Amino acid sequence: MNFNEFQNQSRLYVIGALEAEELEEFEKARKKFGKKAEDYIGECYGLHEAFALSLRPAKSSAAIKDRLMAMVRARKEP
Amino acid sequence: MGRSKLISSTRRKPRKRVRVTKSRTRPFSVVPQLEPGAPSDLELMKAIQAEDPDALSQLYDRYNGILKALILRVIHNEAEADDLLQEIFMEIWNQAKNFSSQKGKPLGWMVTLARRRAIDGLRKKQAYARAEERLQNETEQQPDAWVHNSTEEEIVLSDTRSLIRKVISGLPPAQQQAIDLAFFRGMSQREIAAKTNTPLGTVKTRLELGLKKIYDGLKELRGEL
Repeated sequence: MNFNEFQNQSRLYVIGALEAEELEEFEKARKKFGKKAEDYIGECYGLHEAFALSLRPAKSSAAIKDRLMAMVRARKEP
Repeated sequence: MGRSKLISSTRRKPRKRVRVTKSRTRPFSVVPQLEPGAPSDLELMKAIQAEDPDALSQLYDRYNGILKALILRVIHNEAEADDLLQEIFMEIWNQAKNFSSQKGKPLGWMVTLARRRAIDGLRKKQAYARAEERLQNETEQQPDAWVHNSTEEEIVLSDTRSLIRKVISGLPPAQQQAIDLAFFRGMSQREIAAKTNTPLGTVKTRLELGLKKIYDGLKELRGEL
């Protein structure tokens, strides 16, 4: 696998779309390309942000935050 | 679109509860910019790692809408989405120590976590069939929801969000559908091929081309931002 092919596979990898047999090849290439590969995969995770930001934000009940913060503060108490 | 317009339309009220240090450049972030003085996401994550509940509160205010939308896109159920949202922010609190800025941005980490939990939740609760049915109904009403949403007049989007959506909605519908099923439904290429009655090789090509266009579009967008 050359680096261009690795880049294609990386974009599939970060969204979990690689099939098992492709994943094996991908991991081999990942080791081969080392830091360059890790840096590229890191960049590809920007796709996650983009997909989430492409959605219209949804409203959630105020009670959710109240419950969350109560749980967090309760865990902090000795 | 000018930079000043982008910034002015995405500004938020500054919050001073977390001490602010000089912000780092964010190389691949597409997150709307914050008003000077507002803590960055990274600063909030560091404060959460130091067990500051107020920082979690601020992070929640900033991103609960985005994460809820993501969860809803996966499970299509309002009540379950609210429950999951709470669980996910609790996990952000509990797992914050595992976040490393070396590996990516806080929002990317949160989205990855939320997506995984939402897809797991969908499968664990065996709501898959029901969600399928709802999705099917929605798809029949809105053959291409991603494109449809981007043109709804009543939705007011930030400039950043509009630009991202422009990149995505510029894809051919078949590529959008393949990416949508992979990212928001957690489907493998084979599952997508079976669901859409499309050859596996075609699904792979659609995913590869679509993702490359989005990736390249985001790089250009980064330049504009």
